[in-house]
Amino acid sequence: MTEAETALWWARVRATGPQRVAPSSAFPAGMLRLVEPDVAAVWLLAAVPETARPSVAEELGLPVLAVEHPNDTARVLAACLRCCWADPTGPLWPGKPASKDEVATVLGAIINRTEAASNIALLGAIRRLAGAAWLLWDEPAQMVRLGPRVAVWGSADLSALRELWRMVSSSADIGRADVEGPR
Amino acid sequence: MTDPPELTFDDLTGEAAVLRVYRQVFAVLAREAGAMILDLTTIDVDDSILEAFAEAGSQGLTAEQAVAECRRWDGPVVRRRFDVLREYGAISRINDRPNERYHRAAFAPYVMLLFLRRMAEQGGQSELHQLLTLEHLNVKSANATAADGAASVRRLTKVFRLLGNELIILAMGSTAETLGNNAQLLWGNESLIDQAKGVHAVVLGRWTELDRDCAALRVALAAYADAIDAAAGRLIAQAGTTRALGLLPVEAWVTFGRDSSPEVLAAVLDRFVFDAPAPWFSPHTLIEAVEAGRQISTTRLPPPRSDDVEPEPEAEAGVADDVEELRIIAERLLADSESVGVVDVLDDAGDWLSARRVLAEVTAIHHHPDLDYELVWGDGVRVEVAASPSWTSHGRFQRGHRANGDAG
Repeated sequence: MTEAETALWWARVRATGPQRVAPSSAFPAGMLRLVEPDVAAVWLLAAVPETARPSVAEELGLPVLAVEHPNDTARVLAACLRCCWADPTGPLWPGKPASKDEVATVLGAIINRTEAASNIALLGAIRRLAGAAWLLWDEPAQMVRLGPRVAVWGSADLSALRELWRMVSSSADIGRADVEGPR
Repeated sequence: MTDPPELTFDDLTGEAAVLRVYRQVFAVLAREAGAMILDLTTIDVDDSILEAFAEAGSQGLTAEQAVAECRRWDGPVVRRRFDVLREYGAISRINDRPNERYHRAAFAPYVMLLFLRRMAEQGGQSELHQLLTLEHLNVKSANATAADGAASVRRLTKVFRLLGNELIILAMGSTAETLGNNAQLLWGNESLIDQAKGVHAVVLGRWTELDRDCAALRVALAAYADAIDAAAGRLIAQAGTTRALGLLPVEAWVTFGRDSSPEVLAAVLDRFVFDAPAPWFSPHTLIEAVEAGRQISTTRLPPPRSDDVEPEPEAEAGVADDVEELRIIAERLLADSESVGVVDVLDDAGDWLSARRVLAEVTAIHHHPDLDYELVWGDGVRVEVAASPSWTSHGRFQRGHRANGDAG
């Protein structure tokens, strides 16, 4: 792979987000390769040092990119993280798929809101997150997976995320509490 | 005839010559006799007429021939321009007699046209540079006199005063758009000033008695520099943060944005790569958002209730005593015997989850003040690698011996 091709890949990844390519394709320098669980494809993701992440903008007090409903979106991401991160001692990627209902259950435990409003907010947030490759959203099957962008979180971030994982109760816990609740 | 200085015949012919050239030169700027032209086509027509004369050769042209040569333009228009030019003396009869039909053209109008066009295209900067170079050569030449130097410095003073005044008036009073349209006054000012300073230095060095004129030139140059600063400051302030877009007026960009097709607009950004607008979520943000969501849910107020319906009193909010349940469990475990081994109890429970529950119940029975059973731990550990739990402490669960009132 020549330098020009590498530069082209970087430009592509920066301009359009993580790229899904065939597993046999080239490997641009300095990129993360995230293999899909079925090894049918590979995600290319720009691997930048910790001091060049988007989080630096926040530390420097620069304006970060605005999201619609930032809190709701963050909560949905947290709920998806709880559902899809199968083993919190291991890496985030690839994670296991979870249905939208599972996510909705977990989200319901985080926020108290009417079912309908929560559903609309959930769908919107999932689409927003999927647009930025934080999630992979299978609309027909209504299944959610963690997107390739989660691999950007570093090891320091991961420990905070484990904390979050423990903080949020899983859908199975909630289901059991519901059954045992009216005892 | 003594009050005005008496004019000799030579003076008069000199003035007449100047006036003739002056009239010829301004012929191309005249609409009618005595009025300025207002549109560009007439200048183009003049250009064509003079070109026709240039190609005609030595015998000149008649008016009809000139009209025929300028077929590109309307006949009446060309004829009218021809008359105007003749009136100013730019075109004259070859022989000054009543029925002469052939005309010749003077060269001065065409030179004037060339100057006009160059000034229009380049803002007169190069003419100014040439003028300054000429002045420099003049004052440096060996046979130049102090009078030449003074005249040169005065001319330059006048030029820079005019330049600076125009610019400062624009910078102070007019809109930024007008200023931007006249920005050619700003161009190349550094080298202009430098050249003028060169002339100034030569003059001051050769004829120190001209210091007053030189001071005037210095003042004019300084005024011009100030005017440039003011105008440039005004333009930069107006360009604002988008100064990279040049000094075009805002309206030009608005019009461009409104009239262009998406392709044209996109082409502007062709060579740039932008990061995809992906929001970033730090784990900290996630945790904060989740905690904020919880807080909202806990601080929710209960819906208002009417006061007349008393809520049912809480059913025995005090100690939930499960003494009977525990006694049944203890009896079941002991099964009429006096004591039973903890290992056996845990083995009977099966898997670890239920064994743990049994252990918890046994401990609770042991600690319950009203129940007379106890848990006595012994030494030693039973180890079974394959089982779960893989090790179990020896101990006994037995009926207590505190019936005599030593419960506590």
